Amino acid sequence: MTIPVRPPEGRLWPVDADAAVPYWVYSDPEIYAEELRKIWYGPHWLYVGLECEIPNVGDWKTATLGERPVVMVRSAQNEISVVENRCAHKGVKFCQARFGHSEELICPYHQWSYALNGDLQGVPFRRGVKRQGGMPADFDLKQNGLTKLRVEEVNGVVWATFSEETPAFRDYLGEKFWKHYTRVYDGRKLEVLGYNRQHIPANWKQMQENIKDPYHAGLLHVFFATFGLFRADQKSAVDIDDEGRHGILISRKGEQEKTEAMADIRNFQGDLVLEDPRVMDVVQEFPGEETVGMITIFPSVILQQQVNSLTTRQIVPKGPDGFDFHWTHWCYADDTPEMRLRRTRQANLFGPAGFVSADDGEVLEMTQQGATPSPDAHMILQMGGRAIESTDHQVTETAVRGMYRYWRKVMGL
Amino acid sequence: MSTTLTDRPAAITRDAIRDLYDDYYGALDEVRLHDWPEFFMQDCLYRVIPRENFEAGYTLSTMQAESRGMLKDRVTGLTRTQMYAPRYYRRFPTAPRIVGEENGGVRTRHNLLLVQTLIDKPSEIVLSAVCHDLIVADEGRLRFAERVVVFDSEMLPNSLVYPV
Ligand code: FES
Ligand SMILES: [Fe+2]
Repeated sequence: MTIPVRPPEGRLWPVDADAAVPYWVYSDPEIYAEELRKIWYGPHWLYVGLECEIPNVGDWKTATLGERPVVMVRSAQNEISVVENRCAHKGVKFCQARFGHSEELICPYHQWSYALNGDLQGVPFRRGVKRQGGMPADFDLKQNGLTKLRVEEVNGVVWATFSEETPAFRDYLGEKFWKHYTRVYDGRKLEVLGYNRQHIPANWKQMQENIKDPYHAGLLHVFFATFGLFRADQKSAVDIDDEGRHGILISRKGEQEKTEAMADIRNFQGDLVLEDPRVMDVVQEFPGEETVGMITIFPSVILQQQVNSLTTRQIVPKGPDGFDFHWTHWCYADDTPEMRLRRTRQANLFGPAGFVSADDGEVLEMTQQGATPSPDAHMILQMGGRAIESTDHQVTETAVRGMYRYWRKVMGL
Repeated sequence: MSTTLTDRPAAITRDAIRDLYDDYYGALDEVRLHDWPEFFMQDCLYRVIPRENFEAGYTLSTMQAESRGMLKDRVTGLTRTQMYAPRYYRRFPTAPRIVGEENGGVRTRHNLLLVQTLIDKPSEIVLSAVCHDLIVADEGRLRFAERVVVFDSEMLPNSLVYPV
């Protein structure tokens, strides 16, 4: 049974429907509960991890999709399973480590054991002890396994969905985004360089919005603007899919120079030079002239290609006003040692202490602080007009508008 | 912090090590950021790294610098380009333990708790860590040739702003 959602009592959607979004979307607990049901557990592919994180049969990694804990496990040579990390007996979250290796999945409480693909294999005392007790004769192992999610492994990335209605991953992305996706995830083997994890006290949608909003990047991120990594005067584009749910920011690196466009950036630091510029040692490695391709895959992940830094940034919502942000920094398995070092160095720009990403975490927290107490006020999303369309510049909030149009459709609002 | 050059390198005694840490944490707690790079050799290694990366043999760090120049760049980035809410950081190190010698330098370990206080918020722990340091005599004073801060904390409270 689905309960139709309306805007919470007394709260309305602004008249300027596409270009204004009310702040209650960031704070209302009922809305958040609906989002879990309709978005996170609905017809959407969620990022789980990289295939290379579990190379051998029996290797597993735990993750959280929406709020539900899952285990991603290599269940056979060419098979990856994603099962709910919740014992069928009493709901125990049986895998507690981040990574592990085991022959089967066993719950510590009453030792029900599951095959790697989630099938229930054994229940101790199933036939009782000395003819006493035991499970009823009609207890069927086949009916009582772990919840199995639908899984697709796509060029090194593992995706899962709770819903039977989710279209195939390629259709979920759409052809345009399939092209963007395969520019970086081109089938080459990936390898993990390391992780970063932070909790950001802001609504999970804010993280998606942040990456769909190129207009802030040249203004907030003075480090980027100064060194020409992301600037308002660069050739750039915003592409969105037909539904408006996925987006990409495409940009080209410019020079560090003071131009007319920089006059609007009040704190531009034109005189700034680095003592040891190795962090900015950037090489062109992908086809085309673009140096930045930041993809938002709704709702769970950001696929970052910023110069030579490659990461997946997984969003794990924790209530309406906070989310965990899991960064997986990776490289190609056949990268040279120099390239690995370059990517590792460039990680200084990103992550919880990144020269640019720390700005984002901070500003999202400030947004939540300002928006939560005034649920009925609304944001102004008119940069670049009111339309929802791809653009060949970055002075726009088009992708944010697109996301909210899709969000309203899914939420029935 | 002024650097005094003398012919005789400072001896790495237990007292001198203690003084180094007192000065180092004093400078950071008082946010004398421009003094911070001077605690390191010109060629140095500085890492603030999640324990899971460290144990897996990954070098990817939350903060990293491979020279005093990069440490200075971190200060420049922080003071000239980054945006963050005002806060106090206070560091609670345990006494250093000498764990070995290496090329005339001394390896030490100590635990560290980093506590932050934001406006209108209760104080909170940013990270709980163990510091793996290599201390050497350099230009008449003690400096870090290596400082690797391995933190247990699984989820940083938003950003790590100041150095550790
Ligand atoms: S709760 Fe898992 S076996 Fe009983
Ligand atoms: Fe940003």
